[in-house]
Amino acid sequence: MHVWLGFAVLALVLWGITGVTQKLSTNRISSERSFLWFCWAMVALSAAVLVVARPHWGLATGVVVCSVAGGALNGLGAWTSFRALESGGKASIVISLISLYPLLTVVLAVLLLGERLTWTQSAGAVAAIAAAILLSLEAPQTKQA
Amino acid sequence: MTETSRWRRLPVWLFWSLATIVLWGAWGLVSKIASGGVDAYVNQLLYTAGLAPLLVFVALTVRRRSRRESSASGEGSESQEKRAARARGVFWAFLTGILGGVGNLAFFQAMVKGGKASVVAPVTALFPMVTVLLALVFLKERLGRVQWVGLGLAFVAIYLLSA
Repeated sequence: MHVWLGFAVLALVLWGITGVTQKLSTNRISSERSFLWFCWAMVALSAAVLVVARPHWGLATGVVVCSVAGGALNGLGAWTSFRALESGGKASIVISLISLYPLLTVVLAVLLLGERLTWTQSAGAVAAIAAAILLSLEAPQTKQA
Repeated sequence: MTETSRWRRLPVWLFWSLATIVLWGAWGLVSKIASGGVDAYVNQLLYTAGLAPLLVFVALTVRRRSRRESSASGEGSESQEKRAARARGVFWAFLTGILGGVGNLAFFQAMVKGGKASVVAPVTALFPMVTVLLALVFLKERLGRVQWVGLGLAFVAIYLLSA
């Protein structure tokens, strides 16, 4: 197995667990307050990371801009997704629609970074996006056994 | 129909959803660019710096709302039960942040280790499969036929993307 795939699957698993922990949180507090504590946890994690990180001067400006922009884009994306749900969007539709975001990454990476996908990987990307949409559709209510 | 009226007809939730697609879609791209010159740990530090303005904005919003609510309901009227529920909510939110942050480190490391943005983004976007599996096993939730198909398709997708 490729090393990068192992890390990608680890991210997938950890983010998948947050799907449950986030629900446990927003069942008790508002999504705004939940997001605030999510951000504080990021700050705490970064403080811990300082122990092992070796920040050094002389990083290329473009790299720094992209890293900082990454935090801003991801955070804002989480915030806009809350707004979408709070402004009357049906959860199953909003989440399905948002699941299309990797499609934009694929398009941007191909156009701007010159990445090339094999036919198999292209089929995999389409399958992944379709799977994410199907998974986000709520199961119909069933009678309790 | 003019462009303006077309925009006015756009439901608010759709606007926010499209904004999310753009923001998260671009996040994958900038993460890949950054992975060429910075390790995952330093990236996490810079990432948090980028998150800071939003943190301040949300903190101020929550504070304003709390003040409004407490002045409306009377100071100190919150029951012990409510406070305990809120503390549990905060705990789960904090844990979400830690898990999400470590997930970010792994996501970034995948790119540092040579994963293409166009492959890593679709693989990691399959995270709802884990949520669904956990809900199935621990919360005893039932899955619909569509979700079962989605789950199967997710495994197929990972296999194809790793080829």
